[in-house]
Parts: sequence; C-alpha cells; structure tokens
Amino acid sequence: MSALSDVASREQAARELLAHYVRVVDDPERVHEWPDLFADETEYVVVTRENLERGLPVAVIRDDSKDRILDRVTVIREFWGAGGRLEDRHYNDVRPRHLVGPVWTEPAEDGSVRVTANFGVWLTPSADPTPRLLALGEYRDHVVFTPQGPRFRSKWVILDTAVLQDVFVYPL
Amino acid sequence: MATVLPRASGGPPVSLRWPPEDNRIPREIFTDPDLFRWEMDALFTGPVWVLVGHEAEIPQPGDYKTISVGAVPVIVVRGGDGQVQVLVNACAHRGARLVEGPSGNVLRAGFRCIYHMWTYAPDGTLQGVSLPEDFPAEFRREDYGLPRARVATHRGLIFASFHDETPPLPAYLAELTEGLDRVVGDGRLRYLGSVKVVFRTNWKLYVENIYDGYHVTALHTGFQVVRLRSHGGQRLVPNYQRNGHLWGQSRSTRVDELRPVLRDMSLFEVRTKPTTDHNMIVVFPSGVVTDYFDTIQLRYVLPLAVDRTLIEFTFFARSDDPEEVVRHRVRQGPAVLGPAGAITLEDAAALERVQTSSVARGDNVVLKGTPKRFPPYRHVDEAPIRHFYQAYRRLLGVADGAPSQP
Repeated sequence: MSALSDVASREQAARELLAHYVRVVDDPERVHEWPDLFADETEYVVVTRENLERGLPVAVIRDDSKDRILDRVTVIREFWGAGGRLEDRHYNDVRPRHLVGPVWTEPAEDGSVRVTANFGVWLTPSADPTPRLLALGEYRDHVVFTPQGPRFRSKWVILDTAVLQDVFVYPL
Repeated sequence: MATVLPRASGGPPVSLRWPPEDNRIPREIFTDPDLFRWEMDALFTGPVWVLVGHEAEIPQPGDYKTISVGAVPVIVVRGGDGQVQVLVNACAHRGARLVEGPSGNVLRAGFRCIYHMWTYAPDGTLQGVSLPEDFPAEFRREDYGLPRARVATHRGLIFASFHDETPPLPAYLAELTEGLDRVVGDGRLRYLGSVKVVFRTNWKLYVENIYDGYHVTALHTGFQVVRLRSHGGQRLVPNYQRNGHLWGQSRSTRVDELRPVLRDMSLFEVRTKPTTDHNMIVVFPSGVVTDYFDTIQLRYVLPLAVDRTLIEFTFFARSDDPEEVVRHRVRQGPAVLGPAGAITLEDAAALERVQTSSVARGDNVVLKGTPKRFPPYRHVDEAPIRHFYQAYRRLLGVADGAPSQP
C-alpha cells in the first residue's frame, strides 16, 4: 500500500486497471484473464438505465460473486465454444471494440477509488463488414487495492441502450 | 368500445409461392417486404389475440407501458377504475405519438399531446382541446377518443385484438389455458423487469424456433456440457385445426445430477416446483410464455422490419414469493434466457444465419417427427412448425399448394 498511498498514484492505478480491462474484453483470446481484474468479494452488473431508474431488479447480467464471474468465462468458452475451433463456435463471430472516455476518478477516504467513464461497444462481425453499435452507456466502478494490485470491488455497466442491438458473448 | 383499424384490401403479394408439401417453407417469406406489410395488416390486426403484457406490469391505476401490435404502436394502460385498455399511441387529431417512454403513470395528468395540447383521460377519451373556437360546428369530443383495441385477460395476461371477428379469448386459447395456468398460476405475479434485444431475423423464424424441439440439444451446447437432457415430454399443438398455438412440455435433469462445470449451478436449479417439468408456450402469433427452471417469463415478439425483430423478455415472481426466491429468480432468469443468457445467444446466431441466407431462395424443410400427421408430437420433434404455418396461411389467405391469385 505504501507505494500507492499517494492519492494521485491511486487514481492513476485505477485508470490503468480500466485500460487493462478494455484490452482484455476486446481480445477474445484473453477472456480467461477477465476474472483476475476483480477482487475476491465483487460484483459485475450490466443493467439498463430503464430498469435501474424504475427500481426493477432484473439486470442483463448480474454476476454477484467471483464464482459467477468465473462461471461466465466457462459459459463463454465451453458452452459457446469461444476461443476453440471456429467450427465449434455456437455464436456468430464478432470482434468487440470498446471506446471508453472520458474517465473520471474520485478518491475515497478509505483508500479506494470511484471511477466513472463513458463507453460504447461496437461489434464487427466476421461475416458482415458493417460494424454494429451494440451498446452505449456509463461505467460506475469501485476500485480497491489488494496485495495483488488494484481490483474491481464492483463494476456496474449502466446501459443507455434500453434495447440491446444484438446478443453478445464477451463482457461489456 | 373497440375500434377496428382500417386495413388494406386485396390479398398477399402475387409473387408468393408455396410448395404443395406442408413440410416445406419457401424462404422468400422471410425476405419479402410486401409480404411483411401484409402480415402486419392481415395477421397482427386480423382475427388474433396478441399478447401485450401482464397486469403485474401496470399494477396501479394510471400505470401504462408501451408496446406494439404488429406495426401499430399501442399504450397498455390501467384506468382510474382499474380497467385495462389498449390504446393506439397516436393523437386522434394529427397523429403525433402521445407517450415516448416504455412506461409511466398518467392517473393525474392523462395523456397530453405536445403538438396541439389535446388531452386524453387514461381510458383514452378526449378530455380537452386547446382553443376550440372556429372548429367545425359538428366537432364533438366523443368522436375523437384514441382508437382502442378489444382487450381480454386471462389470469392477468393481457391480450389485444384489432379485429371484430376474433373469437372470445377462452375459445381462442382453448386447451392452451391449462398450460398458461401452470405457468402463471392464479395470475398474481410481481413484475421484476425486462430485457430487450434486437434479433436480426424475421419474426416468423423467431417464433417457429420455439416450435422446434429438434434444435435444442444440437444447438444449445451448454446442455451437452452439463449433461442436461429432457426426460420425456411432448409438444402439443392445442386446437390445431383453428389456430397454431404451441404447448411444449419437458422434464429436465435435476441440478444435482448435472455435471457441475459451474461453481454456481443455481442457473439450472428448480427450487419452487415439485418436479423439473417446464412449459414452453407460444400463444399464436407472437406471445411466448414459459416457466423454464424457476424463471417465469413472458416474451413479446415485436416485428420491426422484414429482417429485424425486437424480443422483449419480461420476468416475474409470484406475489407471495419470499425474498430469497425472488432473488433466485432475478439471478437465474436473464442468465439463462436473455441477450447474454446461456441458452439464447445460440438461437440468435442460428436464426441470423437462416435469415441472411434466405436470399438463396429455395425451401426450408421440416423433417423430424413429420411422419406423424397430428399432435401430440415428441418433445424432440420439429413437426409442430407445420401447424404454425397452417394457421399463418389461413390468416393470410395463402391456399395450400397453389400459387395465390390477386
């Protein structure tokens, strides 16, 4: 912790965690690294602004434990065949691309950092050269510092896109 | 009083060809924009009951939600007297959309059109217009209520029809009511929210996929990974002579007998029912009702264009569920059946592929289970698809085996 006791360096580390996150979720070969970015006690929630504002509990994704986050990788790789042989894949091959920014950071008294950022996710299907805008929204992250480094204590993905423009394989 | 919408006269597009064998489906029905417009008219505003919601979505007086009946945008609203109405979401004056959002409450304010400040009561009656001086002398407010559909409910399920000759709902649903009752129980549900996604496919491909028991183990590889199978079941087409509803019944492997590849297997767990039996129901033409595992779900299949369909997955709990059961349903539902769900993505992939290659012309063929001519079928059969298209062709006036004439 001592190396990160300075507020500015903690905020910088939180920004780097987000940049690393984007690198991992945009690379189908690296999806197995995605759970490593989360703390042991954690949650990953993708929810439409519509449901959030109405107080409705249904989310697009509600991975409310590290186990559920690890399971998502199992579903992606073993249920859907992602990362395996092309002919074993049971989804239509797309390259996801996140565009993130601006990023705002807000240090908390307890040493953690709140991170918010605008994001858009585009999908480029291999069978169709036209990119698809899948979703637009806002990240609301809570980053804590563990002995292993900065990790997401929670990551909320708030979708402006009340109607998702496609199904999706990789995390938003 | 319901309003019958004016509709186009004539028949389906002249070019529509249908093979003489009832297990062949011409691919051009998934790509023909003229046929799509004809379907919105002759089918969705024809003599059918379209599932548009459950009363739990609009529990309080004045609550409303928006949806569509075919191409017609509608407001499903609970009036001050508790009665549910389905109103056309367009001002009776110059047609401006009245409400924008997916839901809200208009008990106090009513519906007010931004264009000329006409206001309507929650039940669609015109309450006031701005500056009515110099209107024609014969103008009467009662002539300008919002057009409304006929509405009928079954255990809180809300159905709308824009046709005078639609039979009463109990006759339309017939034996399907038993299946619906198994899912919605006494109808006292709690709305948990919805998830909406665009499928890049014609609406019929989405619906026929639910009649198809053959794809389930082949396409949904997750079931193979956890070794989840159907232990018996059947696919019924109740009242198939008159309409094309589907009632699929299946019993799946208990969660403690599955291969535990996930750390949290509650995805596949049944806690609220004595057995792992579930129902997968299509209320023809576009309503899906299921109690898969512990997930109580309605789906509204909303055609956007000939090759795009909005699927709204809505999730419910029972009103008397303890909170831990509600939490289980919230965690399970979208994780199984939704745009990031473990057994939904693959349907979207397959259906998009069928859609994009439909320009190749020719016919899609239905084989598994077809030596049997009539229901019940086995749960692994795709034969029920034929009955969907028989009902579809009757409504569109596409005769069996012969090219249609104008």
